[in-house]
Amino acid sequence: MNGKMIEEALFAAGDYFGGALLGGITAAVVRGLVGPGTDMVVAMLYGMGIGMVVHLAIGLALTPLLGMFHAMIPGSLIGMYGGMFFGMRDSMQTHASSLHHAIGVGVAFGIVTIASIKLYDCALRSTTTKPTP
Amino acid sequence: MDLSLQAKWNRTSRTYGLMTWGEEHRFASAKHELFAKMKGRCLMVAAGTGADFRFFPPDLVITALDISPGMIERARGRAADYRGALALQVMDVQELTFPDAFFDTVVTSCTLCSVPDPLRGLRELYRCLKPGGQLLMFEHVRSRVGPIAVLQDLMTLVSRRIGPDMNRDTVSNVLRAGFELDRETNVYVDVVKAIQARRPAS
Repeated sequence: MNGKMIEEALFAAGDYFGGALLGGITAAVVRGLVGPGTDMVVAMLYGMGIGMVVHLAIGLALTPLLGMFHAMIPGSLIGMYGGMFFGMRDSMQTHASSLHHAIGVGVAFGIVTIASIKLYDCALRSTTTKPTP
Repeated sequence: MDLSLQAKWNRTSRTYGLMTWGEEHRFASAKHELFAKMKGRCLMVAAGTGADFRFFPPDLVITALDISPGMIERARGRAADYRGALALQVMDVQELTFPDAFFDTVVTSCTLCSVPDPLRGLRELYRCLKPGGQLLMFEHVRSRVGPIAVLQDLMTLVSRRIGPDMNRDTVSNVLRAGFELDRETNVYVDVVKAIQARRPAS
């Protein structure tokens, strides 16, 4: 394994770590503020706002290591859309799920989102267009 | 010159090297491939701290400008390391002082995201390029994927206070400024792109 491959592997590991961290923290904060009985629309808006704030804080901290785009683009998807999903879930359940469960789902959501972005990136990477005739 | 913009980038210059460390490593090969096409008398717009100078082919005559004296100061060491002629100048891309049709190649690197009027800046670049001259751009743009684009619009509300806009439609602006687009390559999803364009020969 040469230096370039090691560097790429470390960056990829950092991407997944960042996604998992962001998903876990967003899920935990949303779980702490939204419970069964919260109006679903309000819960989703809470989740979106919380996710956005967490994403900006974590994204800014990870930007020097991962790069602004690799930290911010997947991070915004995990934070904002993840926050909405977590808020919706926490408001619709009859009994509040455990904090560990919520964090586990958040971590999984973060990892799946990072993997999806990487797949999408691979699909687009070779795309080269020449629009002007 | 836009003094508020200059002040913003002077402040940002203190932490710019730290904040872009990851990017400089991850995008190195794409930048190296793009900037290898530089030839003749060259202009680099928004030199920043000079981190991209290492990708430039040797033995060129290059003028690198930035609106921020703070950035230029930090770029001096890297400019001195370049194996060719590289001069640094403080200048606003919207008000270039170069004559018409002066450069063979213009290079930008995450530049148009920070220019208040990108179309005006691009028209200035068009004016300074020789007919047939090439424009090589490494830029981030607004995604064409709805859910990502919406997030970029929201992030821009914050990011433009300390740095760049995240949602510029740079490829369309290049065409609107009169350039012909040769190639548009996605470097990271459809947000970070290597763009090759040229001023029509006649």
